[in-house]
Amino acid sequence: MNLKSIIIIVTVYLSLILNSNSLVIGSDENEILIDANFSGKDLLVFGAFYADPSQPREKKGDILIEVVGPKEDIVLRKKESFLGFWLNAKSVKFRDVPSFYYLSSTSKLKDSFFEKNSIGLLETDQLPEVNWSLITTEWGTVSSDEEKQEFYEALVRNKTYENVFKQTSEEIEILDGNLFKTNIPIPNTVPVGTYDVNLYLILNNKISKDYSYKFKVRRIGIESIIFNFANSFPLLYGFTSLVIALIIGWISADLFRRFRKA
Amino acid sequence: MSIYLPIAEISINIFLLISLGGVVGFLSGMFGLGGGFLMTPLLIFIGIPTNVAVATSANQIVASSVSGAIGHWRQGLVDIKMGGVLLSGGILGSIVGVKFFDYLSNIGQIDAVISVLYFALLFSIGALMLIESSQVIRDRIRKKTVKKKLHYHNWAHRLPFKTKFYTSKLYISVIPPIIIGFVIGILSGTMGIGGSFILIPAMIYFLGMPTSKVIGTSLFQIIFITAIVTLLHATTTFALDAVLAVILIISSVVGAQVGVITANKLRGEDLRALLAIIVLVVAVQIAAELFIQPDDVFNFSHMANYK
Repeated sequence: MNLKSIIIIVTVYLSLILNSNSLVIGSDENEILIDANFSGKDLLVFGAFYADPSQPREKKGDILIEVVGPKEDIVLRKKESFLGFWLNAKSVKFRDVPSFYYLSSTSKLKDSFFEKNSIGLLETDQLPEVNWSLITTEWGTVSSDEEKQEFYEALVRNKTYENVFKQTSEEIEILDGNLFKTNIPIPNTVPVGTYDVNLYLILNNKISKDYSYKFKVRRIGIESIIFNFANSFPLLYGFTSLVIALIIGWISADLFRRFRKA
Repeated sequence: MSIYLPIAEISINIFLLISLGGVVGFLSGMFGLGGGFLMTPLLIFIGIPTNVAVATSANQIVASSVSGAIGHWRQGLVDIKMGGVLLSGGILGSIVGVKFFDYLSNIGQIDAVISVLYFALLFSIGALMLIESSQVIRDRIRKKTVKKKLHYHNWAHRLPFKTKFYTSKLYISVIPPIIIGFVIGILSGTMGIGGSFILIPAMIYFLGMPTSKVIGTSLFQIIFITAIVTLLHATTTFALDAVLAVILIISSVVGAQVGVITANKLRGEDLRALLAIIVLVVAVQIAAELFIQPDDVFNFSHMANYK
């Protein structure tokens, strides 16, 4: 364990002594950097919570961790069979969808809790299945409620499949009763931007304490330079890429001609 | 070892990319083809987004055509005037092709259209190559030599705006080469190919150009067409991935040289039969994806993902 962690844990304990029912967070990092070797990362979130230690485990409260990525606009398309071809037919636009969503708790929480506190995107046991209040949709030709529901489910399913939506109640590890630790897998497909991490201490089905912080995902190094160049000066970028192609093509022709002569 | 591609926004195994570039380069060197028609679908297979595959493939073809054209140029086998006329149609065609591509991306049909076009293209190339090579193999077994016509006289010689092409020793109308260039330009912009396998037979059979000048001239004009397609994609779809391009260019030029050396040591028709089968397999694979019901009929894409 490094010095940083020790300092954090000491701070955590000190603040626990001074407060009852408290929640303290020590986060590993507040930046994820995408470079040429980026292949995803585990975000470490840890901290401590305090509830009456004389109580049994289930009365001590639960920890809920929510990570919400920057918003994005999405077109969801449905393929239909057309003369034997599977072609995109109907489409629905979803605006302000979190590009990344992760929800983790120490035990399975009731849907009524999520509903009451408007937390969550992936509740599956009730209708409407998703907390869509913050998402704008353009339905286009889709009109029936049944079909809308189908699109909702497909969005969550596709996002889950890409490992950018996840809900779990198994990934938070509790150490010695008061400390918790979890690794949140951030896949290599996540967009750049600011991510919110929200932590809640839940006692008796109510939020007792909450804590939020942000971390940033950004490109660095050559990846960042190329991306910005391509988007800010597309023509110049195209020309540069062309010149590289011309030079390599020219050199290779020359090199191999000499090589064959020799 | 993975590398993160800045425009495709995915991380992918670098050795997979190098071997893909090397194999396509090898095949193109061996058969004297551009290889774009294999590069684009293979890139899509390994998970590169369609728009990035098309734009980057065009950029890679610029390098391989320059590399090939230099040799022909030195031997005086490039008909610049014919190349220029083809190009005048080709520029217009490539603009139409990239606009068409952009339009299809926006309405969500680009993947299906690309699949249909590639299936049609690969299936016809594969079938033609298989027929041609099996005939040559049959003739070889029967010890027959095939005589080829040197010059075709057809409708291309009867249209107006006739002009002299000294290098090719032709006196034909400029309309057929402009139309051919235009069509190839559209295909290039939409599919990220150079189009030499369509261009070469068209130049021989429709225009009646001498076979010796055809390859150099087609390579010459493909340099410019794919260069324009690259620029148009960089500025319209923002899908050109320079990192991916450099990896593919270097691996494919090396592969191409190995291919040229190998081709000199082996019998052409046997290899062409083999390539024909590979091409047909890729075509069937593409068709299967179109006709078989997908696991999930829903798919999503990001809006305005260019910015």
